[in-house]
Amino acid sequence: MKLSPLHIVLGLSAFVALTGCGPKKPTLHLYTWSDYLDPELVSVFEKANNCRIKVDTFDSNETMYAKMLAGSGRYDIIFPSSYQVSLMAQNGMLLPLDKSKLPNVAAHFADTYKSVILNPEMTYNVPYAITFTGIAYRKDKIGDTEISWASFDNPAFKGRSSLLNDFRETIGAALKSLGYSLNTTNTDELNKAGDVVIRWKKNIAKFDNEQYKTGIASGEFVLGQGYNGDIAQVMLEDSAKIGFAFPKEGFSAACDEMVIPKVAKQVNLAHAFINFMYDPDNAAKNIQYICTIMPNKEGIARLPEKYRNNPAIIPPAELLSKAEVLKDLGASNALYSKIWDTIKAAE
Amino acid sequence: MKRNPFPIVVLFVVLAFLYLPIVMLTTNSFNLSRFGGTWEGFTLNWYRLLLQDQDVWIAFANSLLIATGATLASCLLGTTAALALHKWDSRLQNIHYGLIYTPLVIPEILMGISLLLTFTAVGMDCGLHTILLAHTTFCVSYVTMTVLARLQDFDDSLIEAARDLGANAWISFIKVQFPLLLPGIISGGLLAFTLSIDDFVITFFVAGPGSSTLPLKVYSMIKHSPRLPVINCLSTVMLLLTFVLVLASRAFQNIKQQKAT
Repeated sequence: MKLSPLHIVLGLSAFVALTGCGPKKPTLHLYTWSDYLDPELVSVFEKANNCRIKVDTFDSNETMYAKMLAGSGRYDIIFPSSYQVSLMAQNGMLLPLDKSKLPNVAAHFADTYKSVILNPEMTYNVPYAITFTGIAYRKDKIGDTEISWASFDNPAFKGRSSLLNDFRETIGAALKSLGYSLNTTNTDELNKAGDVVIRWKKNIAKFDNEQYKTGIASGEFVLGQGYNGDIAQVMLEDSAKIGFAFPKEGFSAACDEMVIPKVAKQVNLAHAFINFMYDPDNAAKNIQYICTIMPNKEGIARLPEKYRNNPAIIPPAELLSKAEVLKDLGASNALYSKIWDTIKAAE
Repeated sequence: MKRNPFPIVVLFVVLAFLYLPIVMLTTNSFNLSRFGGTWEGFTLNWYRLLLQDQDVWIAFANSLLIATGATLASCLLGTTAALALHKWDSRLQNIHYGLIYTPLVIPEILMGISLLLTFTAVGMDCGLHTILLAHTTFCVSYVTMTVLARLQDFDDSLIEAARDLGANAWISFIKVQFPLLLPGIISGGLLAFTLSIDDFVITFFVAGPGSSTLPLKVYSMIKHSPRLPVINCLSTVMLLLTFVLVLASRAFQNIKQQKAT
């Protein structure tokens, strides 16, 4: 006797059955960013709803979108950024939300943040976290100077500041400093903004997305364009010396949202989860975990003081109107990358 | 005559490029600083965080499950394929050899996309089972090649002797050929295991909900995680695991060679 193909097929299928077959409890599949959900809330929800939650993570909206398009992403809730939500909704990939199953969202959504949400009618989406781009600075080394985008011209900070290495954010900051929209597609405005960044480039130390946090924390840099959530995390460890400014000329905002794709299997459970996240106590707990606000009025009010009073987590209400949401510009992105190339090549 | 220093210099440069990044990564996993770069003191805190990170361990369990499954399946399929290739020298077996050899040289991205297209075309939901199938597909080739290499210096007269002494085909395989091939199968299996546990590209395409493997998890953490040093710890742990497996694989190959001489 020899090992027949039948043995192999049997062996393989036994293994597939063992691994592929799920437990009896329903499983809710989430597709989100890494470290973007408090694991304690996950276990609370699992117990309350007698289900299991499985979290998979993506590194960019584009990765997630590609997986959905390819048809290998049968998730129940996805957490894309606003502009991606618009694209997915246009392509008919999203399920309209059943508002009657989301009483917490209706009760606690903070209207003050409506201006920084791309799809405020919330047909397909519920805002999960809003991030802002501003300027981190060292209080102890900067004196009383008012911090704004113009500070990157200040010769006092020569070689001790950094700008983000991101063409939308960095050119966006220059556009704001000139009083233009950061979603402009006007070449004249963009060229002027490009000149501003080239001028800044001569004064700053580098364009950087990661190491600037170390630079600010260690005092090597005194000024750095950065995301508020990142800086809030650094501030919670070393708060006395580090400040965060929302520039008065205006700044960018981005929102990650919860959406249910059409291919979702656990539609009811998905609604329950979105509603669960909007419970004020849960919202407050999660904000502390991700250091980024969810527009949940009561949830923000229930934050411990060190979070509620942290200017990097919650922008001052009077400055909120200065925030502008980054939109996906589609083909016009090329205009920005062209200017960006000129900036990178400039001496 | 003075020795030419050039080979030594090249040796050190090559070693530095191969191992310096690994040393830096391992060192940083013990660094107190959140962002790396500067050494701020020794800590095991990142390892503690790693231990507590449930998602990472789920991904690790997925990886182990897939690697074990793919190894077992590919050992079985690979060994039988190698036996067939060794035994018959026909045109059909030449084609067979070509088919087995192709996955070794085919770009991973091509394999990933084509597998995903196949799975969606037949309406199969992606998940652990699709990753398992994909990994088995490419692991089979590696196992076959390793076992085939062992078979090439296998003395066929041993089987003939066993048959002369009254053993039937099955007994002579089980009692004679299989034990002699075992080191080859095991080293092929260990190779398959390391390939499976490290694979990113193919897995990326065929993974579905709830089936993140460790490499996928690490990749998404790199771009969007406030706890970067945890990745250093994880990579260190994975490195250790890979090194152990590679060493074990080498050891098995040596056993076979010693027996042969």
